[in-house]
Amino acid sequence: MDVQSFAKALFTRGRTVGFRDMEVYASSRNQFRVGVFKTEIDSYTLAESRGLMFRGLINGKMGYSFTENLADEGMETLLKDALENAAIMDGDEGEEIFTGAAPDNYTHIDAFSESLPEVPASEKIAWVKAVEEQAYALDNRVFTAQVSVGDTSGETLIMNSHGLKLSHRDNFAAGYISAVVKEGADTKQSYAFVAARDFSRFDAAKLAKEAVEEALSLLGAEPVPSGNYPVILRKDVALTFLSAFASSFSADAAQKGMSLLKGKVNERIMSEIVTIMDDPHLAERPNAAPFDAEGFPTRKKAVVEGGVLITLLHNQKTAKKEGVMSTGNAHKAAYNAPVGVAPSNFYIVPGRNCYQALLTAMGDGLVITSIQGTHAGANPVSGDFSLSAYGYLVKGGQIVRPVNQITIAGNFFAMLSDVRAIGDDLDFGVGAIGAPSLFIGSLAVAGT
Amino acid sequence: MLAKALLEDCITAALGTGGDFAEVFVEDRFSNTLSMVGGKVDSSVSGREYGIGIRIFQGTNCVYAYTNDGSRESLLRVAKEAAEALPGVSGTRCLNLLKGTLPQVNLIHTLPHTIDKQRKVAIMTRAYQVAKEYDLIISQVSVRYFDEDQHVQIANSSGLLVEDRRVRTRTGITAIASKGTEKQSGTYAPGAHMGFEFYDKIDIDTYAREAARIASTMIHADYAPSDRMPVIIDNEFGGVIFHEACGHSLEATAVAKKTSVFADKIGEKIASEAVSAVDDGTIPNSWGSLNVDDEGHPTRRNLLIENGILRGYLVDMLNGRRMQAKATGNSRRQSYKFAPTSRMTNTFILPGPYSKDEIIANTEYGLFARYMGGGSVNPATGEFNFAVNEAYMVRNGKVMEPVRGASLIGKGSEILMRIDMVANNLACGQGMCGSLSGSVPTDVGQPTIRVSEITVGGRKGDK
Repeated sequence: MDVQSFAKALFTRGRTVGFRDMEVYASSRNQFRVGVFKTEIDSYTLAESRGLMFRGLINGKMGYSFTENLADEGMETLLKDALENAAIMDGDEGEEIFTGAAPDNYTHIDAFSESLPEVPASEKIAWVKAVEEQAYALDNRVFTAQVSVGDTSGETLIMNSHGLKLSHRDNFAAGYISAVVKEGADTKQSYAFVAARDFSRFDAAKLAKEAVEEALSLLGAEPVPSGNYPVILRKDVALTFLSAFASSFSADAAQKGMSLLKGKVNERIMSEIVTIMDDPHLAERPNAAPFDAEGFPTRKKAVVEGGVLITLLHNQKTAKKEGVMSTGNAHKAAYNAPVGVAPSNFYIVPGRNCYQALLTAMGDGLVITSIQGTHAGANPVSGDFSLSAYGYLVKGGQIVRPVNQITIAGNFFAMLSDVRAIGDDLDFGVGAIGAPSLFIGSLAVAGT
Repeated sequence: MLAKALLEDCITAALGTGGDFAEVFVEDRFSNTLSMVGGKVDSSVSGREYGIGIRIFQGTNCVYAYTNDGSRESLLRVAKEAAEALPGVSGTRCLNLLKGTLPQVNLIHTLPHTIDKQRKVAIMTRAYQVAKEYDLIISQVSVRYFDEDQHVQIANSSGLLVEDRRVRTRTGITAIASKGTEKQSGTYAPGAHMGFEFYDKIDIDTYAREAARIASTMIHADYAPSDRMPVIIDNEFGGVIFHEACGHSLEATAVAKKTSVFADKIGEKIASEAVSAVDDGTIPNSWGSLNVDDEGHPTRRNLLIENGILRGYLVDMLNGRRMQAKATGNSRRQSYKFAPTSRMTNTFILPGPYSKDEIIANTEYGLFARYMGGGSVNPATGEFNFAVNEAYMVRNGKVMEPVRGASLIGKGSEILMRIDMVANNLACGQGMCGSLSGSVPTDVGQPTIRVSEITVGGRKGDK
């Protein structure tokens, strides 16, 4: 059965078992990915998947259920599960189904390229093979290169019993290389990514060069002595930090006592040169959408401006608790997750300094080009982190040698209060969180 | 589950070009996830995931396709599309699937769906209360309850046809302690390949108290120093160090392509003589156990390291072809959305001769890592990192003040050589392990061990 007919039939049956307001959130995706290793196609994936989540309000309580089997008999299970789940809620959560907004509140976002689906598999395979070939050709110390490319297209549909019906289509392609280089017993690895909706922008030579050159530059790395160092977080490291601590900006986390930003709106929480935006209308980024996971219209806003916390991110439920408007940040981690809160496309606004200017401003210190283990070593509740890292030692504004086997430790908010200068090199990697390079006054480094 | 004739037709369609092996994996999974914050149910979600994955090999080339439309028309179309990715023409073949019977290692007594949700909530409420009342400094407690009932059917062109049912149950408790603007958290998350009877076998209070104890201890702790020093890592979840520092580098995904530091090292000394380790997917009802892996092979107890000598790898069928090695019952996947590959099950260091007290008494200065957080590793370089959730300084053979914010980093090959004492108190803890084929439940484990030197990354500069 198609999703819209399924949803309509589900609402009719749902009403008979007592649900007042109901919503269907359905997602469907097609994916393609091909990987090459030593000129052989070592992985080739074709995928089509869909899933549907139901939520319904009964006696003031919201019940959730989901399925990936859209056969007619699935409806009864969906409703039964949702009834059981609603029954154990307290009923004072304040979660509601969105009644809808006027059409002109929704910004049109073109996130679907008509030309991308036309790129034949053979062209993508040829591209992957070209990246691999170039990587090996660049230097005889290249030991292995693993390359893949993929594209995905999908559609999200929200329908509810208030008559709201919204849908959004998107697609994008991404390419990836992991290069391992060896010199004697010394092994180093680096990665490079490219993501775009326009496959003609995929530059095989550039991607291979980026990964191989970075891996080679790390050969011979040694730790530095333990101590406090001025540090430049390269753009990709800065965005990894922002990503690890993004949940601090959720009003849901704050209301549950799991964010240090609780009660900090209008207070200075970072250096006055830091501004952080949330922009769901950046069509090129993966989280661009005209509506959020509740169907609420999205909008661009400053979350931190001049170091001051302007707003936390809200969905309708968290906004109601504080008597404010939703910021359009209702989020589902997957189609079958309950409605939570998350940023859309979230980034630190770039400054005017080129990368070399940051190095010059720092003089002596470290550039951090990679951090590992943020899932365990960065605690969004406390803001504390202690992370394995590598990068380069800088003297007199010049990179003098690679550094590895060190940790950097501190507190995320203390670190962002100690930002001395911001680069002009805003980058999002392949994701929805972005940052420019940041020059930090001092961080604790553990080495030798 | 699919009918035998449809499975046979799918496999035949998948081998319509040059493929020499094809496999169909059918999954039907029912799950419940409940979360409680501040003693109230915050969300409760139930549902069904359903899909079919088709995998084809041609030599060491592999094609994988999946769909959640299980109709005959859809499956034959997907099988044919997948086959078209491979060159060649089909030979004649005759397939007759023979349904095998499995050893039922993981007996399930009480299926989760037979239990009223109020009883699940009661367990969460109990955990909340015990943790919250542990200490006034505990400002928040969140509890996550999870159960799943996964049905799988696996058929392949060698004639294999098996069905398995995996039931898993887990409760995670996170306590947060607050002091002024500071917060520290403590987490414990026991789980098993078991039904609701799990809660008759464990005392949820113990875990709730532990989560609260860790948070309330660490809120009073000063920062850990930054230095290289001996580190004593306690038993149970401490085994995450072996999981990251060694286990991932023994997976065929890294070994077959020789991107692992331990490739081509069978029979060589890769660890100190104090270290023997296994991966054992057959332990009844353990979190990482399976009756059969996701390629349909019975799980095994695989010896990895014996007195420091590398004895074996974890091998799946595809990488087995690359390595000319037999599969070891370790092929796993998060769901039908992933092609399976070599993964760990329950992986642990075997007991040694010392008591934990002897190890501490023999350590003049160092760090005692009582409860580890997660970590990660780069198998190509062997560089790992871990968070330590609860740690203490050791001086003159005694455990002294708690320290917070420590992480441990190093190279797997070096750390394995530096394990100089192994205790006799083996225990395992539960985790979710993420890698190429998604996130899968694994047990990590070890007795208390001592590593003669690791870099401890803290925030306090003095030594």
